Amino acid sequence: MNRTPRADLVAGAAFTALGLAAVEESWRMPTLAEFGVEPWSAPGVVPALVGAGMVLSGLLLALRALRAGALERGRTLAAELGFDAGARRRVLLALLLMAGYAIGLVGRVPFRVATFVFVLTFVLLFRLPRAENAQARLRETLFAVSLAAATALGVGFVFEYLFYVRLP
Amino acid sequence: MPDGLAALLSALWHFATPWTLWNVLWSTLLGIVVGMLPGLTATLGVALLTTLTLKFPPDQAILTLICMYVGAIYGGSRSAILLNIPGTPANAATSLDGFPLARAGRAGEAMAIATIGSFCGSLVGMVMLAILAPVLADFALAFGSWEYFWLAVFGIVVCGRLTALDDPLKGWLAGLLGLLVAMVGQEGIHGYQRFTYGITEISGGFGLLPVLVGAFGLAELLQVVKQPVYEVVRDAGRRILPRLREVFRYWRTILRSGLIGTFMGVLPGVGEDIGAWASYAAARRASRERERFGKGSVEGLLAAETGNNAAVPGAIVPVLTLAVPGSAPAAVLLAAMYVHGLRPGPLITVEFPGFIEQVVAMILLATCAMLVLGLLLIRPLLFVLAVPREYLVPVVFVLCTIGSFAIAERLFDIWTMVGFGILGFVLREMRFPMAPLVLGLVLGDILDKNFRRAMVLGAGSIEPFFTRPISALLAALTILTLLAGLPWVRRGLARLAGRLGGAALRAVRKEVR
Repeated sequence: MNRTPRADLVAGAAFTALGLAAVEESWRMPTLAEFGVEPWSAPGVVPALVGAGMVLSGLLLALRALRAGALERGRTLAAELGFDAGARRRVLLALLLMAGYAIGLVGRVPFRVATFVFVLTFVLLFRLPRAENAQARLRETLFAVSLAAATALGVGFVFEYLFYVRLP
Repeated sequence: MPDGLAALLSALWHFATPWTLWNVLWSTLLGIVVGMLPGLTATLGVALLTTLTLKFPPDQAILTLICMYVGAIYGGSRSAILLNIPGTPANAATSLDGFPLARAGRAGEAMAIATIGSFCGSLVGMVMLAILAPVLADFALAFGSWEYFWLAVFGIVVCGRLTALDDPLKGWLAGLLGLLVAMVGQEGIHGYQRFTYGITEISGGFGLLPVLVGAFGLAELLQVVKQPVYEVVRDAGRRILPRLREVFRYWRTILRSGLIGTFMGVLPGVGEDIGAWASYAAARRASRERERFGKGSVEGLLAAETGNNAAVPGAIVPVLTLAVPGSAPAAVLLAAMYVHGLRPGPLITVEFPGFIEQVVAMILLATCAMLVLGLLLIRPLLFVLAVPREYLVPVVFVLCTIGSFAIAERLFDIWTMVGFGILGFVLREMRFPMAPLVLGLVLGDILDKNFRRAMVLGAGSIEPFFTRPISALLAALTILTLLAGLPWVRRGLARLAGRLGGAALRAVRKEVR
């Protein structure tokens, strides 16, 4: 049944740690007893219960993964989760571009410029390597420029003038 | 009932304007397109459209969201049939018989059968919503804090159990994570700020919509990028309309699947994919042509598509009456209702008279639009699948970004979207279901407030949690569902009740793999 023991071990450990942190933080929350508040209505009660549930479930997951051979030699997270070299490269590149746009560019440069740069870069980086000849590369580049401009201008216009959103 | 019918006609009359019909058409079509594109789900579509329709009047905004929801669940059948890749998780069962039909040169016919199945499923679900919602709202008036607490716990337990059939533990962990995230920010009883660490942007908690846009939008886009390029089938075959007699000779399957789908939709967080699987499994058990299932059975295709679309109105029933979502897209719909000043819950018939009937009318309009667009645009819609994902992904991500920002015009919401997007992607890759996470997020506040309130009312006693009749029933259901998730209990139960649902459902799922 357990087809991803290494991943389950990592997840189980992470959930256990998160649950423990939640219980510890909840424990430090005030009970408000000095105001005559019913102890069971203290702010930390439910987060502590949730955290405890998470510790229990996380430990179960981790223990089950260990029994299923999570630490066997030759077992890797990437192989278990189907991340071959190509998938890893594509996901990392996409994530880098997306985070760069959403966190790095938006809010720092005008929205339309940021969007144009992001869409253009994304399309070119993913499409150009697959173009077979110079003509195909030119076609891809022209399309990427058009798509980036249309997205930047179109989305900007719709949100700014139709939805009255102050663009970042 | 005549009163209800009059209210429904009045609601339909209210929507009989060119502006409304235009909204119905474009949003249903957009839903079909979103559903068709592998990787993009109804939840993403509804979440994105929520941000696009913030300035719409509430009735028009909810109408477009319901059209998107209905359209996307139906649209996923196209890629399931043509590519053997379900457009949304709800269409996984569709590909079992849809793809073999397409391979046999009957793709157009299969798409039309799926359309009719979806239409019938939506209609059955809609009728059930009209009947069930007012009854459930009345029933829920008897709920106190104890019952709401158990309802929230039951929702997460049953959702975790059913959406992660092979490993309930992962479903429950996802639910607990959702609950923990919901605890961030100022709590509703004493006003204490939990887990905020001095960050003012999260003093009110994480925005639900940015979290959902991230967990579904960014995470789904990354999953699309991860997959190798898929081959596109452009041949619909010669015949694109099925023989109606051939379809309606399976009326029992349609009715059964509609009812099962609706029931699965009503269960908190369970939603359309389980609606489709359960309907498919039941149809196979009852069929005289069982051996054809999985090899291009019209009945199997009908059952799956009827089941998933029936779950859409089903999932809206608890949204309206209990403020508990029946599925992940319904959770976004619930959030959108709050954004537009609507307060779903047991008092809905008192505070917003006629709203349930309006929702029924919205589903009827969406269903009719889906039928017309689905049948008319069988060939043109094939081109949607030919759009390379490298063009689609950045444009959708731009919408995710500006959509997250537009809700409160805060850059922090964009960062939240990115953070939860990465978290959602990692969890999906580790085979954790997303629905319990969403349900935990939505139900966290209900669970927290009602548990503490109940403890205050009961002067610290937990007895009423187990002695009040409805509370005791919900507690028993929760405990039974939990126990049924434990392997050794499950093995015993499977031996006892091998013929009931679970075994068949698992068998069908195994077959897909």
